[in-house]
Amino acid sequence: MRPLLLLLPVIMLAAETPAPKKAVSPVKKTTSTVAAKNFKESGSPTAPVSMEIYTDYQCPSCRAFYMEVMPQFNKEFVATGKVRVVHRDFPLPMHQYGAQAARYANAAGFLGHYELVANQIFKTQPEWSQNGNIDVQVAKVVPPGDMQKIRELVKSNDPRLEETVKTDVAMGNNVDHINQTPTLEIVKNGNRQQIGGMVEFALLKRYIDQLLAK
Amino acid sequence: MKRIALLIARIALAAIFIAAGYLKLREPWLQFAVSISTFKLVPSDWLEPMARIIPWAELALGIAILSGIALRWFALIATLLLTLFFAVLIRSYALGMQVDCGCFGPGEVLGPKRLAEEAAMLALALVVTVAAFRTASANATRRRRFA
Repeated sequence: MRPLLLLLPVIMLAAETPAPKKAVSPVKKTTSTVAAKNFKESGSPTAPVSMEIYTDYQCPSCRAFYMEVMPQFNKEFVATGKVRVVHRDFPLPMHQYGAQAARYANAAGFLGHYELVANQIFKTQPEWSQNGNIDVQVAKVVPPGDMQKIRELVKSNDPRLEETVKTDVAMGNNVDHINQTPTLEIVKNGNRQQIGGMVEFALLKRYIDQLLAK
Repeated sequence: MKRIALLIARIALAAIFIAAGYLKLREPWLQFAVSISTFKLVPSDWLEPMARIIPWAELALGIAILSGIALRWFALIATLLLTLFFAVLIRSYALGMQVDCGCFGPGEVLGPKRLAEEAAMLALALVVTVAAFRTASANATRRRRFA
């Protein structure tokens, strides 16, 4: 049995090798296989690192990530052109109003208010998740004229709203195999690295800094 | 018969530690750091060093157990480690914390099934440790007799 120790270097090398599933998948090699709608993207298109964020508007950890991590992250990495951020909708079936919240955010996105409304939806999550009244919360931050257009888009079941969510969900299910929210897909040189769960800013910063330094 | 049973138990215990280390090393260190952070037991500054060191330590311990060199001591270390992990999991479960165990990679939700698996691993480590100490003691007695 002792000669098995000779296997040590092989095992160590194997451990350093990326997951085969990720390496063999041709889809995984691309930076962003299915492009998110433009309003869901922020930061420089030429940024060396991309971070795709899968969230459900009704998920408390996603709210915590948006409220506690994203403001600092945007300031330090997105505004400085180091990281491009792509938001991806991943409403979970267990959340009754998650998909509707995504429709409101995306409708606002078509009118140029995506960040504003997405932030408001996350901020007021404890209120609307009780009764599903997302409309009231969104109306507090959007000009009345645009709010009317958002309502019309949501009520008319505009196919574009469904399409943008479906595209993200398909990407999450078929390409990234998401099993929790929030999940980050951090992409550099075509390599996607998945981080599931609520990440503290200090940790995320250390990780991205190391990635940028490579 | 006892020797074969011990050999099988030893290989199983080694495989558990090697698999645990290997599966974590396949993921970015940040993923395991996130899993550790969900337990809310260690300061933020410790997360990265722990996430980088623990998987290698698990891998090394698994290989050491597999080799059979100083088995009783490495099995004892494995038992103490598994006792610590089990205590941490029990505490988190009792407090109703939403933790991602991360024991064998990301996305493992802590529940009765995970606790039962952990208890079984601890029992296995205990069996290997006791058997290894007994074997070492019996070997020492035999050596003294022949000396």
